Amino acid sequence: MAMIRNRSRHRLVALSLILPFVAIFALVFAYPVVEVVRMSFTNAPLIGGGEWVGFANFERLFSDRLFYTSLKNNGYFVLLTVVPTTALALVIALAISRLSGRMQALAMVLFFTPYVLPVSVVTQIWSWMLDFQFGVLQPAIEAVTGKRVPVFKNPFWVMPSVAVVTIWWTNGFNVLLFIAGLRNIPEELYEAAKLDGATRGQLFLRVTWPLLWPVTALVLTLQLILQLKIFDQIYLLSEGGPFNSSYVLLLMVYREAFQLNNGGYAAAISLVLFLLIVVISILQFQVLRIGGKK
Amino acid sequence: MKLTTFAKATAFMALAGTAMPAYAQQTVTWWDFFAGGDGVRMKALIEQFNEEHPDIQIEGTTLEWGVPFYTKIRTSAAVGAGPDLMTYHLSRLPLGLSEEVLTPITEADLEAAGLSEDDFFESSINAAKGPDGTLYAVPFDIHSIVLYYNKSYLEGTRFLDDEGNLTGIESVADFEEAMQAAADNGSQTPVTYATGDDGGTYRVFYTLLAQQGGTLISEDGEVLPGDSTEKAVKALEIMTNWHEQGWQPEQALYEASVALFTSGQSAFQLNGVWEVPTMVDLAESGSLGFEWGAVEVPKLMDTQTTWADSHAWAIPIQGEEEMDPAKREAVMEVVGWMEKNAIQWADAGHIPAYKPVAESEEFAVMEPNATYASLAEDATYDPRSDVAGVASPVYDAAVNILSPAMHGYLSPEDAIEQMKAEIQNRM
Repeated sequence: MAMIRNRSRHRLVALSLILPFVAIFALVFAYPVVEVVRMSFTNAPLIGGGEWVGFANFERLFSDRLFYTSLKNNGYFVLLTVVPTTALALVIALAISRLSGRMQALAMVLFFTPYVLPVSVVTQIWSWMLDFQFGVLQPAIEAVTGKRVPVFKNPFWVMPSVAVVTIWWTNGFNVLLFIAGLRNIPEELYEAAKLDGATRGQLFLRVTWPLLWPVTALVLTLQLILQLKIFDQIYLLSEGGPFNSSYVLLLMVYREAFQLNNGGYAAAISLVLFLLIVVISILQFQVLRIGGKK
Repeated sequence: MKLTTFAKATAFMALAGTAMPAYAQQTVTWWDFFAGGDGVRMKALIEQFNEEHPDIQIEGTTLEWGVPFYTKIRTSAAVGAGPDLMTYHLSRLPLGLSEEVLTPITEADLEAAGLSEDDFFESSINAAKGPDGTLYAVPFDIHSIVLYYNKSYLEGTRFLDDEGNLTGIESVADFEEAMQAAADNGSQTPVTYATGDDGGTYRVFYTLLAQQGGTLISEDGEVLPGDSTEKAVKALEIMTNWHEQGWQPEQALYEASVALFTSGQSAFQLNGVWEVPTMVDLAESGSLGFEWGAVEVPKLMDTQTTWADSHAWAIPIQGEEEMDPAKREAVMEVVGWMEKNAIQWADAGHIPAYKPVAESEEFAVMEPNATYASLAEDATYDPRSDVAGVASPVYDAAVNILSPAMHGYLSPEDAIEQMKAEIQNRM
């Protein structure tokens, strides 16, 4: 009897503990998601209901040239950022872990500081530094290319430039993850390997790399999700131009919803982006896991 | 002064309270987007109104210009939490109508304000109407781009008359000759405008297109119909040529483009009338260093016209509710008073849309406004379309396509073709 009462009480306690989370999750995540799905099948404006239009929004989306341009640019941006930032973070983390004491703390602070800044400050700093007329980096660009380049106004420079800004801004966090991962590798393994006569390269390839792989896979996946959601930097630095060469899916969502009042169509685009991110990130994580097990 | 007025009003209200129960004080919630020099002048007007009207008090809020302002209007008006009165760009009216956030301004409303449609410049009142002829806003001003000039670079050329005023520019060739003359006299960048921004590029482009009689978006929603495409190419070719000759600044953002003129490096500036206060203030404080003038953009092509837009008054919907008639009357009284005191607004460079003020002696002596006021009669407003007007896809196309094209990244023909497809695609 006492057992049963205890068990039901146990359940009640458990329920009351998870209820607040479930309630908030339902309110701010589950409900909006359901609404987005519903809205994507209507011709709703930004505010207020709309009529059911079936798959019309999706038909329009898949024949919208801007959608394919944006998709391509999203892909290009992912290529420019995900692997480079991960590799860079790994190199920096390896370098920092060889430092010790205050020097290590100082180096970590230096690399982490940009991550603390809000995106508006980051883009302001870089648009000043790269300003066509007065930017301090323009002489450097001039030295390499022979002339000044309005980087955010040039169709070829714009995406790589936004990628550089993004990597500079977010890399600190990845460095931190890698350092945590490196610290988790037991020192004895290195000692044992050294006793067996392993070279530095072998130490990295046979000990560090495999043991760090879960962290690497995590960083890659987080980066992929984050970079597919690129919006702020584009909106603040190039507004999608020139010639749509930096137009991305979230910018399209923003413009359709808030500039043109097409809530239903914007919902359809965001739904497609959402599914895209889910599918790609699950796929990537699986692939990386298999890669790690080998 | 203000306190005693208040005290008197309160005393009056207390006395009259029993006799006139319907006479209550009205608070008019007001939203505008004037943050700069305009804002200072607008706040002065609001203050003056509040002092003169103990029974109506305006509670003003200034919000951020552009998409944020209009998004906020739409979301708040839909749930009845919007303002009672707001400023609105007439070029933004078509999208406002499709969003259904504007209420019609009736004859009775105008009467309450002491105004009538005939009091306004025709172009502005037409732009304030829906396709069916219903009035949805009351125009407050007409603003446009004008041609500012620095006299020091033009001395000794045929482009200054005996009184030192700009003369002799009747075609693109004349204007280019004047720019070359200014360049020979040491002007580094003879004409400045915001070549790297949406607004600056769009306004010059649209003016050149309109001067050829071209249409950007036709009534039935076709982008650059018929030979308008060729005319648009022509307009862009002219701007591209100015870039190639080094006559206009490269990728200049708004502030930089103004600074080029105020610092005396540019002989000409194509920019909005709203920069007039800047020039007047600089000249008054003696820090300008040259004599300047401003005229209506000359007839460079076939017809005399300039891009123009208006700030206007509009009353948003109040969610599901109707606005209380007494409040609506108070709102219209505010509008009427503002129109009749628009001379202070003209101080910000604008031309009053209300003719009794625009044709008053007070305005006639206001310089340089009076010189360029003629543009009010032959202004070309933005096309009537959901995708045109302030902060619209058309503006986006200007910075996304036109600006890079004239900097040499794409030929004018291809750029116009792309712009056409882009805008059509957004409709």
